[in-house]
Amino acid sequence: MVDPRVARFSAPIAAFSAMVALVMTTGAVLFARKIGFDGGHVKAFYLGSEATFAPPRSLAGLLEVAVPHLLAVPLLLFVTLHLVAFAFGARRRPFALLAGITWGCAAVGIGAGFLIRFAWPGLAPLKVAAFVGLQATMLAWLLLLAAAVLPPARGESRSGDLTGSGAAPPRAARY
Amino acid sequence: MRFLVQPSPAVIDRARPPVRAFLAFSALLLVGWAASRAAHGALTPEGLARILEPSPGERLGPLALWEEVHQGAFLYGFLLLTVGSLLVVCPVTARLRNALVGLATAAALVDLLAPFLPVAWPGFPGWAELRIGAFAVAMATLLAAVAVTWATFGREARRTHG
Repeated sequence: MVDPRVARFSAPIAAFSAMVALVMTTGAVLFARKIGFDGGHVKAFYLGSEATFAPPRSLAGLLEVAVPHLLAVPLLLFVTLHLVAFAFGARRRPFALLAGITWGCAAVGIGAGFLIRFAWPGLAPLKVAAFVGLQATMLAWLLLLAAAVLPPARGESRSGDLTGSGAAPPRAARY
Repeated sequence: MRFLVQPSPAVIDRARPPVRAFLAFSALLLVGWAASRAAHGALTPEGLARILEPSPGERLGPLALWEEVHQGAFLYGFLLLTVGSLLVVCPVTARLRNALVGLATAAALVDLLAPFLPVAWPGFPGWAELRIGAFAVAMATLLAAVAVTWATFGREARRTHG
């Protein structure tokens, strides 16, 4: 059941969702083109490659990418999750589980580059898994946001596994 | 968020100074964004073509284009959400509010996506002019939304509390 107070905020939430979808899509393309989706390419990106004359990543270069993402990614997740929780009065356990996966993937995704470069290159598949996990869970959050702002089909209630029951009051404030 | 969904006059009145400060910084961000594009030559068709037009054989377009859209969508997304949500509790008509948010969103999407036209259809004419025009409309509309919010946020609350 969507909190009726969300209706007034439909336009800005829809605009935000469209822009986040664009951020995630372009992020996926950038990841594919710059790093690649298999462990070998990830290692070559961070450790350098004689075949392509690519030097290993420096600490300064890694920080240049990580620091803006340490602001932008948590801010994006915080606002998106906040909006979903507010819109649906989410059930505590499924919401916390999916949110935990999202936050975990974001943290691993940002930190894995440093670990691959300076600790253990064998963690390269973890970087790919974290990125794919973040993209997949963000897609789920965006679909929930879209469901919150799209007008429901006649006779349909807006509910799902993550949502509270129609009888239960919104519990967004808990999150 | 609470003061937006439960906008009691006293709460709105307390929120007014920080909201106005935030809006001032939002306006500065928009002006700075336009100045940054101008400084990089991205407000002329020739400059845009130099920066973003795909080279022959570059099937997905230059990386710089994807990076710019990645960052631009993030900025637009947060500006539209914050300013649009603040507008909801301002004493303006729903028609004006939806027009500002809708036009700004449409212009922002055209601004971000227009450079992909020559990627999909090499030699597509007028994409640079389209992008510059859309950017101008997005900036003007967002600045108007910021100005309207700045002028009207909490107006009724202040009147009620003397």
